[in-house]
Amino acid sequence: MNDTRNILLLVIDAPPYGDWRGREALDMALSLAAFDQPVALMFRGEGVNWLRPGQDGSATDQKTVSRNLGAARMFGLADIYADEDALVRFGIDKTEPGVDAVPANAAFYARFREVIQP
Amino acid sequence: MKEPVESNAPLKCEGQVTLHLLNKPPSHPRFHSCMAALQAEDHLLLMENAVIALADSSVALPPDTSALVRDCLARGLAEGVRDGVTLVDTRGMVELTDRFQRIISW
Amino acid sequence: MPDVSTNRKPGYSLVITGAPYISQAPATAFDFCKTLLETGHKVDLVFLYGDGVQLASVLTAPPSDETNWTAQWQALGKEHRITPVACIASALRRGLLNEEEARRYEKPAANLAEGFTIAGLGEWVEAVTRSDRVVYFHGGA
Repeated sequence: MNDTRNILLLVIDAPPYGDWRGREALDMALSLAAFDQPVALMFRGEGVNWLRPGQDGSATDQKTVSRNLGAARMFGLADIYADEDALVRFGIDKTEPGVDAVPANAAFYARFREVIQP
Repeated sequence: MKEPVESNAPLKCEGQVTLHLLNKPPSHPRFHSCMAALQAEDHLLLMENAVIALADSSVALPPDTSALVRDCLARGLAEGVRDGVTLVDTRGMVELTDRFQRIISW
Repeated sequence: MPDVSTNRKPGYSLVITGAPYISQAPATAFDFCKTLLETGHKVDLVFLYGDGVQLASVLTAPPSDETNWTAQWQALGKEHRITPVACIASALRRGLLNEEEARRYEKPAANLAEGFTIAGLGEWVEAVTRSDRVVYFHGGA
């Protein structure tokens, strides 16, 4: 397991499509990655709905968010976490590979240098 | 310059001691998320709408809790509302942010 | 480890993500910034992100008996030579434009207030790597 203590964690806890909050959090993560800063992403609470399969953002004239997540991976953002309790609550039992389900608790956050949640 | 994190420094029992800045009232999901993220030696500073938690009898607050006095005064919450919570002015807030290298805004 | 052993105070960058009036973020950040400066701290960057970019609009016209937060920050910035930076991506989608962007997008007007500037997230990334403390002032919603 990577030593995460130097990594910045960006947290998304708003569902996708309802507003730009998650997109702007993701932009921060992408910028850090683009400047070679170690960064990880976490989807917490209602934000786990970003990970639901079968989305079609075009139905509301928006880009499907999985494309943004794909961009994140291309930029080198490797570590993506999801709040395990929220995954259960929202009935998402199969996230895409490369997403680690974790408890959203002090021990988890303590592993990161900063926790940023715009 | 930012101090480097020593990679072989022992972690405290559950991790790095942290100052939490919480500006949201108990009804906001982040209030609960913040509570779930607190460790034993962390400090919680309530500011803006979060200070109404002082008057919310359904909310338990950790032992090391401060509240920004300007937000308490604005809301009529500066007198005798909750034992054990320290009211701090902005200088007190700066003393806290100076003291804690790790700060999480909720 | 806390910085208390040295005489040097930590240097700060501030990030404001809440809009004035719609949130307390610019107000709380203002008081915090003022106090930092009064107590001998260095403020490396004030960065406006998301809804926080609204603070940089010259078109904000609050009633005269309410605090004008844009003016407050302009005065503080002028006194201490701090130019708050609004993130260009957040700004464009919210209709905050400097002259250059107004020309580029063929808009009838620019509305970036004096004393503020527009730049990319790279400014924030640099602050994250350089400043001892980065404190975020989010909206309340």
